Amino acid sequence: MKSLHGTSAFPPPSASVFTRQEAEALQAQNERLLHLFRSRGFAPVNPPIMQPADVFLERSGEQIRARTFLFTDPDGLEELCLRPDLTVPICRLHLQQATDPTAEARYACIGPVFRYHARRDPRFPDEYRQAGVEWLGHAAEERIRADAEVLRLCIIALRRAGLSRFRLRLGDIGLMRALLDDIPMPQRWRKRLLMRFNRQKAFRHALMVMAGRAPDETNALADILEEITHLDPLDIEAAERLVMTRLKKMKAEILAGRSIGDIARRLLEKAEDAHLPPLSQEHVARIEALLAVEGTPQEVLAALRNLGKESDGHFAEAIRRLADFFSRLEDIFAAGECRFSAGFGRALEYYTGVVFSIEAEIGGEWLTVAGGGRYDDMLASLGGPRVPACGFGIHTERLLMATHDGGNG
Amino acid sequence: MTVPAYRTSAPLGEDVPLVVGLPSKGRLMEKAAALFAAGGHAVRRIGSDRGYRGTIEGLENVEVAFLSASEIARHLRNGKIDAGITGEDLLQETIPDWQSRIEILISLGFGHANVVVAVPESWLDCATMDDLEEIAEEHFQRHGRRLRVATKYLRLTRQFFANKGIAGYRTVLSSGATEGAPAAGTAEVIVDITSTGSTLRANHLKVLEDGIILRSQAVFAARLEKCGDPRMQILASTLKSALRNEQ
Repeated sequence: MKSLHGTSAFPPPSASVFTRQEAEALQAQNERLLHLFRSRGFAPVNPPIMQPADVFLERSGEQIRARTFLFTDPDGLEELCLRPDLTVPICRLHLQQATDPTAEARYACIGPVFRYHARRDPRFPDEYRQAGVEWLGHAAEERIRADAEVLRLCIIALRRAGLSRFRLRLGDIGLMRALLDDIPMPQRWRKRLLMRFNRQKAFRHALMVMAGRAPDETNALADILEEITHLDPLDIEAAERLVMTRLKKMKAEILAGRSIGDIARRLLEKAEDAHLPPLSQEHVARIEALLAVEGTPQEVLAALRNLGKESDGHFAEAIRRLADFFSRLEDIFAAGECRFSAGFGRALEYYTGVVFSIEAEIGGEWLTVAGGGRYDDMLASLGGPRVPACGFGIHTERLLMATHDGGNG
Repeated sequence: MTVPAYRTSAPLGEDVPLVVGLPSKGRLMEKAAALFAAGGHAVRRIGSDRGYRGTIEGLENVEVAFLSASEIARHLRNGKIDAGITGEDLLQETIPDWQSRIEILISLGFGHANVVVAVPESWLDCATMDDLEEIAEEHFQRHGRRLRVATKYLRLTRQFFANKGIAGYRTVLSSGATEGAPAAGTAEVIVDITSTGSTLRANHLKVLEDGIILRSQAVFAARLEKCGDPRMQILASTLKSALRNEQ
């Protein structure tokens, strides 16, 4: 199967890049994967390939939209998409079919997903088969066990498929959340920082503003903020009156999805932020130190304990959880290259805790063949109850390329 | 039916005609024609005034394809034309990684307009992209929906928002009258092109302080691999001397 990613004669994007033998090998590999998942108690499901577009677009932001195939139904009424991953469709299926959506459910799925790359490189296909499991509704106190089991299953699956050399990258968004919880600041500052967790530059900018080191570079709002500053920060009605008066004078009627209250509240908060004491030097340093924590699981635990030694709060608890998680996977860490970075968050924005990605060498480059993590907010955001959830997905075409790439498998 | 001047397959020989895309109507067409005429190489339409093909006086083996400005950008991308006059905004929007495929040979000094991010004037708390990001986050937490940005400039919008570190929004493709989207309720924010800003003001929209994505103007651009062609050099120097004489 040497031709899988040869440099000459790339097939057109989207088309099947596999010869018949390769297609058969993929089929056999994926049947073995499904068999493994089933033997671990994950029931196969097949959610629809066509999904309502909104669900994905609202959940994943523009980076995914840029890769999503969108279309309307023939009546031109409903916007649809070809599913860009399996997690959201499985969660929707669960909410539609489970008699008790909070009860434990384990699903497995192998099927096509679609992400536009427009590259004539079979390692970046527009359509590929993803294999994965989702474990919903395990007991809240079982989260660490579930996280560890899911990661272990993912690695077993890759090994059984013949992948012997890979890199595991780990992160845990829960650490930053816990650290921020321990540092005194308005709740909205915490949210502001966590929302930017995936985006280093934006995160640092927000942090510097809070530290008073990067003041708002514009004075465009100085005039109205000056007026607002004289109001009681809790007197939302006075702020609304002020906003209303201004809008009347401007004859500005289009609020575009926001209310007078939304605008007034944010003005009050902005005015208040400017007068709150900035984050202390020490707290900023701790946040930055956490982001810089990187290394093997052992190194990371030592660094984190160093960082959290005075605190006995949320952060200490988060470290204990992480240590527990690590201790369940020692054999796996011993067997391959594993790096943990506290700043590692996967590009999909729905992860809430442990995240991981596994890379393999394909055609001389290290590419992601699998990824997963914890996404406890997903079901609630789809209109269901809040249910603990974790899972992973494997890029099965890439897995096949990696295991037939000479030197591996 | 007229045969389009642009190629449908790759050129084979050395003496293949060089195809130049020129705007087929409007002010862009008039200005382009005037520049070539002033430079001593007037553009001639083949057949009637309505024809879609033309020649350039005094230049052998150069064909003109009269196209819309957006078609010129598209055909530059796929190589159906070798050079053309169009808006810089359309080049950057239409051609992925445009610098690696296209060179802007001359900025023509007309058709000035900015591609900008604009929000409702009523958003008294919003002056910068930072404000917009916070409002987008709040909107999502409060309503479970992303803020929608109506635009025909999907690529420019995504690049600009990504550079600003903003992720919590979604684009809505708009094919016309983008400035009406907030009033119509189909989007909250727009990215659009504006020359004087009067259309935005009339629609009660304001441009964010750091929301200028691109300062665009009409340009003469060519596919990189054709830039060395002697005919291309003559075309470029014709336009250059016409521009010099204008001043």
